[in-house]
Amino acid sequence: MKRARLFTTSIRALRRYKLRTSFIMLGSFIGAAALTLVVSVGEAAERKVMATVRQLFGAQSILVMTGGSQLMGGARADAVRLTLDDVESAASEVPQIVAWDPQQAVPNASVRHEGATATARVIGASERFGRVWERGVTRGETFDESDVRSAARVALIGETAARELFGANDPIGSEILIGNVPFEVIGVLEPFGTDLHGMDRDDEIVVPLSTLMRRVMNVDTIAAAKFLVDDPAHVDGAVKALKRALRERHNIPAGRPDDFTVISTVFVQQMVARTQRVLQLYLPLVAGIALLVAAIVAATLMLASVNARVGEIGLRRAVGARVEDVQLQFLIETAATMFAGGIAGIAAGLGVAQYAATRLHLDGTLSWRAMLLAVVVSIITGLLAGVFPARRAAQLDPAEALR
Amino acid sequence: MIELEAIRKRYLRPSGEPGADYVEAVAGVTLRIERGDFIAITGTSGSGKSTLMNILGLLDRPSSGRYSFNGEDVASLGVTEQARFRNERVGFVFQAFHLLPRTSALENVELPLLYSNRAQIDGLGKRALEAVGLADRIQHTPSELSGGQQQRVAIARALVNEPDLLLADEPTGNLDQQSASEVMEILGKLNADGKTIVVVTHDHAIAAHAKRIVRIENGRLQ
Repeated sequence: MKRARLFTTSIRALRRYKLRTSFIMLGSFIGAAALTLVVSVGEAAERKVMATVRQLFGAQSILVMTGGSQLMGGARADAVRLTLDDVESAASEVPQIVAWDPQQAVPNASVRHEGATATARVIGASERFGRVWERGVTRGETFDESDVRSAARVALIGETAARELFGANDPIGSEILIGNVPFEVIGVLEPFGTDLHGMDRDDEIVVPLSTLMRRVMNVDTIAAAKFLVDDPAHVDGAVKALKRALRERHNIPAGRPDDFTVISTVFVQQMVARTQRVLQLYLPLVAGIALLVAAIVAATLMLASVNARVGEIGLRRAVGARVEDVQLQFLIETAATMFAGGIAGIAAGLGVAQYAATRLHLDGTLSWRAMLLAVVVSIITGLLAGVFPARRAAQLDPAEALR
Repeated sequence: MIELEAIRKRYLRPSGEPGADYVEAVAGVTLRIERGDFIAITGTSGSGKSTLMNILGLLDRPSSGRYSFNGEDVASLGVTEQARFRNERVGFVFQAFHLLPRTSALENVELPLLYSNRAQIDGLGKRALEAVGLADRIQHTPSELSGGQQQRVAIARALVNEPDLLLADEPTGNLDQQSASEVMEILGKLNADGKTIVVVTHDHAIAAHAKRIVRIENGRLQ
């Protein structure tokens, strides 16, 4: 009963000092919003990364890309030559390799069908594409070894590209022009979604590698190849053997860097772990610091408020407030303000996270962990911020405060 | 009701100042106040009259001496018991009113009830405001009230918990003549109804409202 009355009086005091209350709330609002946003988006992004990594990279996969040791996607393909023969002979020297698929790609090919035009990524692959990349067709069929050998003009189309070119019509059996080369659509690729780089992997068309190299691009090199190893435990050994074989074929002397890049699950896992540390630790830490700063500002404002309300404190003591009643009042005032700002901040943070998720093609951003963390942190910082002003208020001598 | 015996209050003199190392604000006061009394303590500023009042209300603790209230030695009470004593036994009225700004008269009056152990507090605030003639002003905030009205709200606040003793420190110091005599009339009426009242003032005209006047000078009663 007494406690409840004390709580009410603290909340009423907040109404009396609206400006101060708003500033304290604003601080914790921003801090809690940042924390919620960062943790929610971080979690969603991490789920996305892990899912995509699993999709792209089984534990038994090795990816070789042309170009020196730059990170994924940045290989300087023009300076070096990775050929089909290179990877074929390297693969043949590593007995643990059970399957492999070479690839070449045109990143932004213009594709037409009757009046419709689309820009899609056109990938050239072997008939082992479906097995090695674990991506089949939902309708129609894939091309086979004889199609690759004869450089047949057949294509598998992703759902986005199909929608852009054919609308609701069935693309199978229709003709499309890639550049100026006509292809027959024979299958529709399994949907993939967006990948690590935010690229829509359904806006893709897969054709036989030989057809792409000879008829569309007129090149004799490939961009990459993916190898499957018989056992996850053999990946490390296979990576070393592949590197040795490729260096030998390219006559790279000892001490010179590779002119290709080998990526394996181990490498990807290290990279993901690094990203995870940033997403799970550093970013929330920075957001947490924002809340801490808000707490310091709140403590300062409340200390100023205590100094301005010395008369009120003296009076409360005179009419029977105990030291702990005064202390509790200022603690509640500070913590309740910070908490209210924090709750509003969490709502705003979740809202922004939802928006960001839509833009970044993430899903499931409603993170209980983020909400709980923000609630707990804003309560703790609120109490911390209230301790000093409350102690200052409690230490006042009532007779002196009333003078 | 109240017996003060050889009450002294000493303050440490700030170092570097000449003279003894402490100042005696109250230097051995012995005083009896009976139930129903209306007593004015007069003196110039710095005479120790406010310190004496603070000691009477347990806002301050005497350095030595005995203070008995209704036969109970209250000077030796612990901090929490003193707070309870202030809440239940005394009502304070100050020169500066000390009303909470932007807070209604009723809420101001009910402030002591916040710290009270009473289970039933409904209606007490309203009744106290009626007693000072402000029944029609209960939702007004201090800035909407005149000085005299504000002091009457403060008196209602002092009365709300039905204390034995009302302590008023220069209650008319911030008021014009008209409001001052209104406030003193209310105090006179409360005394007539049986309330024990102690008023501290430097103003002899105000002191004249009391039944008894004691003069304090240099911490000693004259």
